[in-house]
Amino acid sequence: MLNALLLMKQELAVVAIIFILLILKLGKDRSNVTFLNIVNTLLLLNVVAGFFWNSEGVLFNEMFRTNPLMILEKNILSLGTLIISMQSYSWLKTHKHVPEFYILLLSTLLGMFFMISGGNLLMFYLGLELSTIPLAAVANFDLTKRQSSEAAMKLIISSAFSSGLLLFGMSMLYGTTGTLIFSQLPAALNGSDLQIFAFVLLMAGFAFKISVVPFHLWTADVYEGAPVAVTSYLSVISKGAVLFVFVSVLYTVFKPLAGAWYNMLFLLSLLTIIIGNLFALRQDNFKRFLAFSSIAQVGFILIGISGSSQLGSTSVIYFVLIYIFSNLAAFGVVILVSAITGKESISDYKGFYKTNPVLAWILTIALFSLAGVPPTAGFFGKFFLLMAGAAKANWMLITIAALNMVISFYYYLRVVKAIFMDKNEQPIERVAMPLMPRLALYVCIIGIIATGLVSYVYDYIHSLTAPF
Amino acid sequence: MSLVEIIFWFLSGLALISAIMVLLSKNPVHSVLWLIAVFFAISGHYILLNAQFLAIVNLIVYAGAIMVLFLFVIMLMNQNAETEPRSKSTWIKLAGAIAGGCLLIVVVAAVRDSENLIQNIGGKAYAKTAVTTHGEIGLIENLGRVLFTQYVVPFEISSVLFLSAMVGAVVIGKKD
Amino acid sequence: MPIHYYIILAATLFCIGVIGVLTRRNAIIVFMCVELMLNAVNLMLVAFSKLHYGTYLKNGAMGASGIDGQMFVFFIMVVAAAEVSVGLAIIVMMYRNVHSVDINFLNRLKN
Repeated sequence: MLNALLLMKQELAVVAIIFILLILKLGKDRSNVTFLNIVNTLLLLNVVAGFFWNSEGVLFNEMFRTNPLMILEKNILSLGTLIISMQSYSWLKTHKHVPEFYILLLSTLLGMFFMISGGNLLMFYLGLELSTIPLAAVANFDLTKRQSSEAAMKLIISSAFSSGLLLFGMSMLYGTTGTLIFSQLPAALNGSDLQIFAFVLLMAGFAFKISVVPFHLWTADVYEGAPVAVTSYLSVISKGAVLFVFVSVLYTVFKPLAGAWYNMLFLLSLLTIIIGNLFALRQDNFKRFLAFSSIAQVGFILIGISGSSQLGSTSVIYFVLIYIFSNLAAFGVVILVSAITGKESISDYKGFYKTNPVLAWILTIALFSLAGVPPTAGFFGKFFLLMAGAAKANWMLITIAALNMVISFYYYLRVVKAIFMDKNEQPIERVAMPLMPRLALYVCIIGIIATGLVSYVYDYIHSLTAPF
Repeated sequence: MSLVEIIFWFLSGLALISAIMVLLSKNPVHSVLWLIAVFFAISGHYILLNAQFLAIVNLIVYAGAIMVLFLFVIMLMNQNAETEPRSKSTWIKLAGAIAGGCLLIVVVAAVRDSENLIQNIGGKAYAKTAVTTHGEIGLIENLGRVLFTQYVVPFEISSVLFLSAMVGAVVIGKKD
Repeated sequence: MPIHYYIILAATLFCIGVIGVLTRRNAIIVFMCVELMLNAVNLMLVAFSKLHYGTYLKNGAMGASGIDGQMFVFFIMVVAAAEVSVGLAIIVMMYRNVHSVDINFLNRLKN
């Protein structure tokens, strides 16, 4: 009994936090500040507890399975959630619905946990839905802004459509194999037409969620319209969770169809990198810019996945960890600036260095890491991804990816130039940093530097991933 | 033609015609009513397949609850054929229809070869037909037993899903 | 009934739903078309569940009896109900702000 509880420790912790929040909400009125302090403490405890009592096992008829790799993935996601929660302190301090915000956010986190741990198509589907439906409600939390509700509507319609595709694929898979359980599926896959078709539909469903190019149309509008904290959650945490599952599903369940999905990944990753970069070149809104650059990043991740080796899964998890730190550092600055001044376009950031040197440096380091400039972790992450992709000796793919890295240097450095060199009559005034956002930003910066330079992180992830 | 076949073709025709009418109706209320007709036809299929529990749940949940919700919202916004947004250009409509048609053709092409569909797992003989009119797995007794034993975790997860959906809908819908 | 009749019927309903999502502009109708897609999937799952039940009858009491397909349908209905409740709340909210239920996926947010 105790053993079973320990296997589900992270899920139980999140459920406990949700219940505490519900009770606090129903109790007497508290000020937002005390509430935020309580929540952040609980989330910190959740992250810390995640590192203890690791165990491995299967529960409930293979509905739920866990192992040290999954626990690590969940810890990465809880850490990211904690960072976002600390960063959005200034935005939430004046918001009317803080408890509800956290209840919804944490139930999406719970959904991601179950999605990662699910050993069954049904559990995977339920986890996916639990991690998107409340997010659509959260995207509407700038209740008076019309962009916010349009973003929420686009998010829920596109996610409903994509889960329709996903379900169609799943039902065909069920029809041709007779089972829903992941561990029994590989033996039953024989590559018949119907199974390939089912796999294509599943892939389309996944591609929607991680905004791979033919399915990316919702991304920019949703990212721009949603509140910044939700945007950063969407682009980092929920994308990261789906990527974790995507890798493990491709590498274990669909291993017999590896020949089919390699070609798909090849095409999708090229399209994603090129189109993401081309659109990122001409954006002026900072959130839109980060949205398109994150599409391009997903393209690089797909290259890593296409390597189909142990290096592939290691480098993807490693890169997602780095991506969380660097993207959250960039978003953290944008959240602070937009909560206080309401400015969100890149041209507003001209002369940012004159007024806010610390934030300017943080933003610069984050952008360098996203671009992949050597001393930062982003360089190592992309290097390992390309190395995993190169295992297939598809030099065209690697060359185009490398060329696109140069393009991405251009647009990231354009922002850096605007921050440091350009003159501006009315630069953004000095932004005060409360304790929590400052701490979160420092954690991100330490993460960006340390994950790259300390080789233990990569080795640890590599020791957990399974050989292909 | 046996009775089962006649019922099958009748229900299929009803479902397809109603589904097409959902698309073609200008008035949203008519669309809702046609969609309810689709749900009734699909429930008929469930009864034909002897999935009695799902047939009733489909009527109660889909036709009863979800579609009434749709009707309420449409009437709340006073939507009718005049307020319907001006339709997209014919080209976009054509492109959408072609895209959907291509999807259908691909499915048909994949299904056509039924030998591909029916395969042998571990040398077991596989049926090629769905068992109609009998079979006990669709009865509420069996489904309930499985739901509360093997499928208890998904059941609990769906309770969290409902909690969060409720919280989200209340926060969004509250007027202040 | 032969299983491919059911597959083709469900696929046709599904494609009608997809066409609806791609061509209609009223957000509520688009949502209804998504429901249509989900129902097509449900029909197919039930048919497959009875297909596997037939196999189960032929082979005696070994292997899956096909009941998990019907369980899956049950959970799809549950999720659809939650999705619709949130989605309609969002659409009502949008209507309150914008006075329109028009989805124009590409160019509305730019103005």
